Amino acid sequence: MNISESIMIALDSIRSNIFRSALTTLGIVIGIAAVIAVVAIGQGGQATVMSEMEKIGSNLFAVYTDWSSDQPRTGNEFTLKDMEAIKEQIPEIKYISPYGYANDQVRGGKNVKSVQILGVSADYAPMRNVTMKEGRFFSSADEQGRRRLAAIDEGLAQELFLKKSAIGEQIVVAGTSLTIIGVVKQEGSIFNMGSSQYVYMPVQVWMDIFPWGYISQMEGTTHDQEDVQSTTEKVVKFLERRHQGVAYMSQTLDQQMEMVGNITGILTLIIGAVAGISLLVGGIGVMNIMLVSVTERTREIGLRMALGARRKDMLIQFLIEAIVLCIIGGIIGMTLGVGGAYLIAKLAKWPPLVSWTTMLLAFAFSAGIGILFGLLPANKASLLDPIEALRRD
Amino acid sequence: MIRVENLSKIYRPDTLPVRALDGITISIKPGEYVAIMGPSGSGKSTFMNLIGCLDKPTSGSYWLDGEEISQVTADELAFIRNQKIGFVFQNFNLLPRMTALRNVELPMLYAGVNKLKRRELAREALERVGMLDRLDHRPTELSGGQNQRVAIARALVNHPKVLLADEPTGNLDSKTSEEIMNIFTDLHKEDTTIVLVTHEPDIARNSQRIIYFYDGVIEKEELTSSSLTSKSEGRQSS
Repeated sequence: MNISESIMIALDSIRSNIFRSALTTLGIVIGIAAVIAVVAIGQGGQATVMSEMEKIGSNLFAVYTDWSSDQPRTGNEFTLKDMEAIKEQIPEIKYISPYGYANDQVRGGKNVKSVQILGVSADYAPMRNVTMKEGRFFSSADEQGRRRLAAIDEGLAQELFLKKSAIGEQIVVAGTSLTIIGVVKQEGSIFNMGSSQYVYMPVQVWMDIFPWGYISQMEGTTHDQEDVQSTTEKVVKFLERRHQGVAYMSQTLDQQMEMVGNITGILTLIIGAVAGISLLVGGIGVMNIMLVSVTERTREIGLRMALGARRKDMLIQFLIEAIVLCIIGGIIGMTLGVGGAYLIAKLAKWPPLVSWTTMLLAFAFSAGIGILFGLLPANKASLLDPIEALRRD
Repeated sequence: MIRVENLSKIYRPDTLPVRALDGITISIKPGEYVAIMGPSGSGKSTFMNLIGCLDKPTSGSYWLDGEEISQVTADELAFIRNQKIGFVFQNFNLLPRMTALRNVELPMLYAGVNKLKRRELAREALERVGMLDRLDHRPTELSGGQNQRVAIARALVNHPKVLLADEPTGNLDSKTSEEIMNIFTDLHKEDTTIVLVTHEPDIARNSQRIIYFYDGVIEKEELTSSSLTSKSEGRQSS
């Protein structure tokens, strides 16, 4: 007896008990749908995070002091002279900016807002692909002249000055007033869904305003992406030579992306595994019904054996029935899973990623479950004694 | 066609031995029509299971169509059942979800006959038992006698060497029984070897020879009146 005959027999028997077959496959349907949807949404989310980070620029790196070491802070770990020296002596570097960071209130118009206040160099704008909504970012000349200028995020501009243009307005930070020369455009990004707002000012001005503050890190980009790692190491060595006894650490965006990728990957895997358990339960359901089916059809099995079916023929017949049942469930589950993934992705506003690999895996997995859980019932059928089986009512 | 020598079957030989068959020797010639009678527990069902290759003897030999088969493997037995033996059961044993035609096709499925050929041969077999107008009926849509005709067609379709019928009229009324027995008589005339188990003497008298079983041994054998007029009688004496 060939495989296509066996499939016909299997379809026959599935059809003759359609309601029970449907209930049996439901477990597989739900399992496969859950796995596909979870993996698709997870991979879509991961891709979204990655592309957002890609936008920041993948030749970006940061150097900071080692937080974990117990060295005392002097506040001199990053000086403006260091920045100049690095830019002069390491030609691979394209942009470089110190990074002074403070959290304070800003007053503008009639409003007060608690924001993040950054002291950076003019390089910051091209380095971080900052785009302006209005006005401009401050220049090196502004920096040299210690002009009390600032750029602010568009969200902050709206909150402070409402519908008025913020350009030319004054804001007050820690008792010092600054003139706004630019409004920074905020792209709809998953990283700042209305969260923090920034005020950007020349680092020299920032140091004047926050005399107790210190520059805790620096950021830079290279001309070439391949040089990021080696250049970062050079910068760390360079700084360590200039500041004896200070330990520096670095991180590139690539490394960060890898880390984020790993974390989201692990999350997807864990949730996927939980969904996979429901597949396992579905498989056990199939096994149960197949065992019932073997008992119900004992006479049929006996008769087929009397007419010349070998044990192998009976094994294959029931195994194929289980596999067909699982594959049908798998196909329905895949359809539902992909549909569900698109629906959820639409609500979460990121693209669902249904790869062919996932689909193929799901298909192979449902067939595998059919084999795994069909084997026991099929084996039971094949081991029946034809005489006993024929005698059974 | 069939020859058994010293055939024994002991159930549960280790714990509680039951001697279902106790060293019987029988020979059935090609084209012969034999009836087996005996009370229940006499060993006639065990004997049918053994010569039907559904079971293996504990000891003794069994030749079917010149081949010694008491010790072959399960798969070889399946092949022999498929090719050389046709079964007719008391309760028909048709698959309820299948039409008459597909029920008759069943043995050929395991013989590896292709679909078109199967259909053709199944039609021929059903025609032989007068069921050509009921090809697409399912067993529930047919009477007992019609179902048994379909079952006989199924038994014949692979051209077996021996037709084994276990109480084929046990579930039928006397008029239908007679119709079925006429089919057996016709098949006998066409040189089919038939072994029939029954406990109705009227039915047994259709055969040429009646073998009586009792307690796992052959109690007696007798030739019937129909053996005198049968053509195979002439062959026996030649």
